[in-house]
Amino acid sequence: MAGARYLRGATLGVVTVAAVSVVLTPLLVMARTVWIEGGADVADILTARGLSSAVKNTFLLAVAVTVLAVPLGTALALALRRPNLPGRAVWRVVILLPVLVPDFVLGYSWLRAYGRAGFTDDLLGVHWPGVQTPVGVTVVVVVNAVPLVYLITAVGLAARSEPAMERAARVSGGTALSVLRTITLPLLGPATATAAVLVFVLTLGTFAIPQVMGSPAGFSTITTRIYSNLARSSDPLAFTEAVTLALLLVVIAVLVVAPADALLGPRLRVTRVATTDSTSVAGSRAGGRWAATGIACYSVLAMGLPLLALVATAITRAVGLAPTPENWTLDNFLAVLNARNGEALGRSVMLAAVAASVLVVLGGLVAALERSRSGRGLATLVSLTLVLPGSTLALGLLLAYGRWLGGTLAIILLAYIAKLWAFAHRPISGALDRLPPDELHAARISGAAPLTAIRTVVLRPLAPALLAAWLVCFLTALHEVTMSSLLYGPGSETLAVVVLNSAELGQVGVTSALSVVITLVLLIPALGFWIAIRGLNRGKASLSPVPPVPEPAHVG
Amino acid sequence: MSADTLHVRDLTVSYSGVPALSRVCLNVAPGEVLALLGPSGSGKSTLLHTIAGFHSPQAGEVWLNGRRVSSASRSEPPERRDLAMVFQNYALWPHLSALDTVAYPARRRGDGRNVARAQALVILERLNVGHLADRHPAELSGGEQQRVGLARALARRASLYLFDEPTAHLDSHVRGVFLAELVTRQRDTGAAAVYAAHDAEETLGLADRVALLAHGRVIQVGTPQQVYREPVNELAAKLTGPVSVLTSPGGSPRVLVRPEWASLDGDRDGRVVEVWFRGPHSDYVLVTDQGTLLVREPGPPRHERGAQLTWRLSHSWALRESTMTAEPSVSQLPSQTPSSVAVPE
Repeated sequence: MAGARYLRGATLGVVTVAAVSVVLTPLLVMARTVWIEGGADVADILTARGLSSAVKNTFLLAVAVTVLAVPLGTALALALRRPNLPGRAVWRVVILLPVLVPDFVLGYSWLRAYGRAGFTDDLLGVHWPGVQTPVGVTVVVVVNAVPLVYLITAVGLAARSEPAMERAARVSGGTALSVLRTITLPLLGPATATAAVLVFVLTLGTFAIPQVMGSPAGFSTITTRIYSNLARSSDPLAFTEAVTLALLLVVIAVLVVAPADALLGPRLRVTRVATTDSTSVAGSRAGGRWAATGIACYSVLAMGLPLLALVATAITRAVGLAPTPENWTLDNFLAVLNARNGEALGRSVMLAAVAASVLVVLGGLVAALERSRSGRGLATLVSLTLVLPGSTLALGLLLAYGRWLGGTLAIILLAYIAKLWAFAHRPISGALDRLPPDELHAARISGAAPLTAIRTVVLRPLAPALLAAWLVCFLTALHEVTMSSLLYGPGSETLAVVVLNSAELGQVGVTSALSVVITLVLLIPALGFWIAIRGLNRGKASLSPVPPVPEPAHVG
Repeated sequence: MSADTLHVRDLTVSYSGVPALSRVCLNVAPGEVLALLGPSGSGKSTLLHTIAGFHSPQAGEVWLNGRRVSSASRSEPPERRDLAMVFQNYALWPHLSALDTVAYPARRRGDGRNVARAQALVILERLNVGHLADRHPAELSGGEQQRVGLARALARRASLYLFDEPTAHLDSHVRGVFLAELVTRQRDTGAAAVYAAHDAEETLGLADRVALLAHGRVIQVGTPQQVYREPVNELAAKLTGPVSVLTSPGGSPRVLVRPEWASLDGDRDGRVVEVWFRGPHSDYVLVTDQGTLLVREPGPPRHERGAQLTWRLSHSWALRESTMTAEPSVSQLPSQTPSSVAVPE
C-alpha cells in the first residue's frame, strides 16, 4: 500500500511540474508583462486604430462560424445515422477529411479552386470574388469546424439518445419529425451545446485560414494581428500590443466557457451506457437518397473540388494555364524537393512524434490521477488548455523562456505539449471511464501488484485509446502553424511554416506542391494507424463474448 | 382471420443476410395474451420489433385488426399502428418527467398539454406512482421506472400491447408485483397482448396461449398446460420448465419426465447424487438405469446425498423423435396427439 502511495505521489509531482511550467508560468508572466510594461499603454493599445476592427472581426467570425457549423454538423450526424443511407460507410470517412487536411491547406485550396485565376476560372470562366473576403474565410472555417461538430454529436447520439428511446416515442404515436423535435434533439442538447462552445473558442484562436485567405485583402483578426505585430519585432509597442491581444483572447474564451461549463458540466458528467446499435429507425428510402445527394454535393464543393484544384495547380506549368495534360509538369515538385524542405519535413515529423509520445504519457498520467480527489483539479487545468488560443500560449512561452530557448525546437515542443495535452487526456480518460473497475479488482485479488495489474489488464483494453491519442497529437502537431509561426527561428522552421511563408511570397505552384506533400505526409500515417486501431478494436470485439479472465498473477 | 387483433403470416426477417426469423406464423385474438417463450437470440425481440414496425420484413405479412401493416414492399410507420410497447430497458426519456412521459402519447394524438397531463396523472395514480409524477428517470428505481413505462403504454390506448421482457431487469421481489399489476391493467383495457420472456414460470402463469420460439422459428403453439405437458420435442420441453429425459430398455421412444411426475418410494431403484432444499419443496437428482432423473417432493429433504432408494413414475410423455427437426408446419400443430403414454417397463 505504501508503494502505491509513493507511486501516486511521484506521478502527481511530475504532472504538476509539467502543468505549472508549460501552462501556468507562461500565462502569469504574460499578465505581469502587460501589468508592468504595458501600464498606461494598455488603454492606448485597446483604442488603437485597426485594433478594434480586428477584435470585432474575431468575435463576428466566431459567432458566424458557430451559428453555421453547429446545425450543419448536427444534420450530418443525424443523416449518417440512417441505416438505409446509400454509401453510408464512405460518407462517414469523407466527412472527416478536413481533420486530416491542415487548415492552411484547406484555405489555400479554396483560393485555388474558386478564386481569380483558379480552377473554376480557368475551366469555366467563373470565379467567386467573395472567396477572399470575410465571407470566404467564414465558409472555410465552417468547413473546417464541421467534423468536430459531427464527431461530438455522433458520439452524443450513440451514447445518449439510444435508439430504444426513439422507438418508444414512435410506438407512442410520434411521427419521425415530431420524435426528432421532442426526443432526439432535446437529448442531443448537451452535446450540441458542447460542440457550439468548442467551435466558438477554437474559432477565436484560428489563425491559418484568416491569414492565408483574408489578410491579402486586409481582413485581420486578433491572431493575424499578433502574427504581424511579432513580425515587426523591433517595435516594443507592437510586442506589448501582441501580448495584450493574446490575453484579451483568453478573457473572451473564458467569458464564454465558464458559464457554459457551469450550465452544462453536471449534465455532461452523467455517464450513460452506450448501446452497440446506434442506428435510427429506418426512414423512407427517398429520404435516404436525398440525404446522400446533399452530403455528396457538400463533400464535392467543400473538399473534393478544392483539393483537386490544389493538385491541378501543383502539376500545371504556370498560373493561368488550363490544367490539361499538355500543360502538366513535375517542376513544382522538383523545386520543392530540396535539402532545406527535407530538413523541415524531418524536423516536423520528429517534433510531432516526440510531442505525441510525451503527450500520451502525460495524458495517461492525468487520466489515472483524475480518479482521485487530488488529481481532479489538475485534470480540470489540463482540460482548460483546450480553450487557450495557440497564439496566447506561444507568446507566453516566448516571454517566459524565450531568453534561453527562443528560436529553438525545444520551445516549439513545449508549446505543442501545452496546447495538445487535453487532446491526449480526453480519449484516454474516456477509455478509462468505460473500463469496469471490477476488472482491475479481479487482477488485484488474483495477486497482482498495482503496476502489474495495470500492465496486464488495463493496458491491453486501453491500447486503441492510447494509439488514437498518439495519432491525434501527432497529426495535430504536424498541422500546427499558429504557434510554430510565432516561435520558429533560423534552422527550426517546420514544414507547415515553410508552406505558410511560401503562400505569403505568392509562389502559387510551389505552395500548391508543398501543400500536396504535407497532406500526403499526414494521410499515410493516418491511414496506417486507422488500420491498426481497427485491428485492435476487432480483436477486442472477437474476445468480448468470453468473460474477462484475469491473467495468472506473476508478481515481482 | 380478420377477427384477430394480430395476424402474422410467414414472417421472415434477416439482418445483413443472417436470418433472424423464418416463416413465423401467429394469431392473437382480441383480449388474448400470447406469450413468446424462447432462449435469448431466438428472435423474440426481432418479432416484436417487426410487429411494432421498427424493422421491415424480407417476406411475409403483419396484419393488425384486419389491416395489413407490414409486408416486404410496404411498411406502416410505428406511430400509425394501433399498438403500444413496454421495453426491456424501460426506454424512458432522461429529459422528461414521469408525468410528461406518460402524457407523450396523448400529446402526439393532438391533446393539449393540460389535458394530456391530467390523463397521465390518472394513469400514474392507478398504478400507485402518482406521487412520482415530477421525477425524472434517474430519480426512479427500476420497478418505478417500469411502472412509468407501463403507464406510457396504457396512455396509448392501443388494441395490442407488446411486452419485450419487461421484468428482465427487475429484482425478483419487484417482479411478481409488477407482473400482477401488468396483467390486471392489460385485462382492464380488454386489449390483446404479446408477452416475450425467457422465464417459463412467469410466462405460463399469465398467458392464454404460449408460442415457443427457437432459432427464429415457432416450434410449438398451445395453451400453457399443453406446452408443459405435451412438448413437441426436447428443446420445447426444456423451454417450458425442468425436465428429465429417460431412455427405455425396450428401445421404444425416449420419454420426458417433469419433476413432479415422479416420486420417491416405489418399484424402481436409484441413487441420490444431489439434494437441493428449495423452500416449499426439495429436489433430488437420482441416477437410475434409464438415466438421470430430477424428482420434486414437497417439504424438506428426507434423504442424504449418496442414499440408495426407490422411486416410481405417475406420468410421462413420449418423445416423437421424427419431429426433432422442427418444420415450420409444426407451428400450428394440434395437440390431440396421444397424450399420456404408458410407462416403459
